[in-house]
Amino acid sequence: MTYVLQTHRLSKAFKGKESVSEVSMRVKKGEIYGFLGPNGAGKTTIMKMLTNLVKPTSGEIELFGEKLTPTSYALLGRIGSIIEYPIFYDKLTARDNLELHCEYMGYYNKKAIDEALELVQLRGIDGKPVKDFSLGMKQRLGIARAIATKPELLILDEPINGLDPIGIKEIRQLLHILSQEYGISILISSHLLAEIEQVADTIGVINHGRLIKEVSLEQVRVTNAEYIEFETNDCVKAAYVLSHHLGISNVRVIGGRTIRVYDLSTPLPQLNKTLIMNDVAVEAIHQKNSSLEEYFLGLLNGGEQSA
Amino acid sequence: MACIFGLICLISFDPTESQELASYEKLFSVIDLLTRGTFIVFGAVLLARFIIEEYRTKSISVLFTYPISRKKLMIAKLIVVFSFTFLSIVLAELVVGLLMLAVNHSREFIHEKLTMDIVGRQALAILMNALAASFMSLIPLFFGMRKYSTSATVVASILIVFVVCGSTNDFSLNSIVAVPITLSWIGAIIAYASFRNIERKDII
Repeated sequence: MTYVLQTHRLSKAFKGKESVSEVSMRVKKGEIYGFLGPNGAGKTTIMKMLTNLVKPTSGEIELFGEKLTPTSYALLGRIGSIIEYPIFYDKLTARDNLELHCEYMGYYNKKAIDEALELVQLRGIDGKPVKDFSLGMKQRLGIARAIATKPELLILDEPINGLDPIGIKEIRQLLHILSQEYGISILISSHLLAEIEQVADTIGVINHGRLIKEVSLEQVRVTNAEYIEFETNDCVKAAYVLSHHLGISNVRVIGGRTIRVYDLSTPLPQLNKTLIMNDVAVEAIHQKNSSLEEYFLGLLNGGEQSA
Repeated sequence: MACIFGLICLISFDPTESQELASYEKLFSVIDLLTRGTFIVFGAVLLARFIIEEYRTKSISVLFTYPISRKKLMIAKLIVVFSFTFLSIVLAELVVGLLMLAVNHSREFIHEKLTMDIVGRQALAILMNALAASFMSLIPLFFGMRKYSTSATVVASILIVFVVCGSTNDFSLNSIVAVPITLSWIGAIIAYASFRNIERKDII
């Protein structure tokens, strides 16, 4: 299992206030790692430290198996990134900006620029200076710039910021292609949980500068599996019925009236029948999927208020 | 350059002022003054475009994620600004000087003989002054970097121009050798300070 990125107790303090504390995260080669966290959690700061824009106060970063120092420039050539908003030389055209980028990175494949523009579906922009671009177009150009040199690691800070729903879908597909066909490892941060849920392999949850949990999405799905939820006004009796007649103890009571059954060995119709035959008044019952959103909010609210 | 030439012509043809430009030395010092003044400001504009504006628009954060040493990038920028200023000053003074000599040939308002000695001394003076002025033109970098403001840079350079290029009755601060030397050193130190620790600085 090679890790393309590892941090070890990474911390950053600005003027005495710690904005990132003891973050130890690991990104495997070829996977998509989703960074989740509320505003101000420290995601962008961590990404800046990974690209050497900000120097950590303590802790280590290891990229591609080598330690990242203030002078390790060769490593930077293997990373493509968007941090916060993508910035360009506004008076030049998109193509000029990309050509400059390739020159600086030492990448000489002429077709790479066309490929990149095609992959992000940015068309009809020849001759237009970047200052005339809309936000969505700039965002796409930023992604194109990050992927143009086919780097081994992509660091994307909220890449779908400002994109329309079609754009979001395209980028999602693009990320899948990059990860599977080109074997590029991707570190992506976003607020849109639904999006992260669809692309990421592993998620890391950050709050107040601390990495609260780092877990693979598989595990999240397993722990937050489907459940059957029903409403009744006599929860105690319902629980009793469930454990005695059906042998189900993996239940959770929400509020005063709702019960969730995580054990799906009994199909819903039979569950319903058993409950009713035992005089439990079931007012509503259905099968649901717990979403990443609830897991995430649960993690954040577990002991802390969000920022 | 055309403006400088025009200005000098104007001064020299005014009969009441003709006493002022009666010698080659005075002629060249006027050319020198005006040229240096113009190009110190020009140097500050270059600084503003190449360095200050990159910091202001944060395109410097893109530049620093490239696999090239930050020191090299900064030094390259400073070298471009410095050489442009230096070459422009030298070239401008040469061109205007030659033009004035041509005019003098036909109009004869300077009644000295042009000897190689004078030419030699003037050439040396031009080079030394241009060198000093180019270093001085880096001083506005300090003022511009504080708030990443291009206007602060240019205003600072104008103030510097007032200091070194003002002259009254044949006397200017520039003639006290200590002044240009100190200012050049300050310029060089400011330039050095800008890239000395750049590897370790944070770009927010």
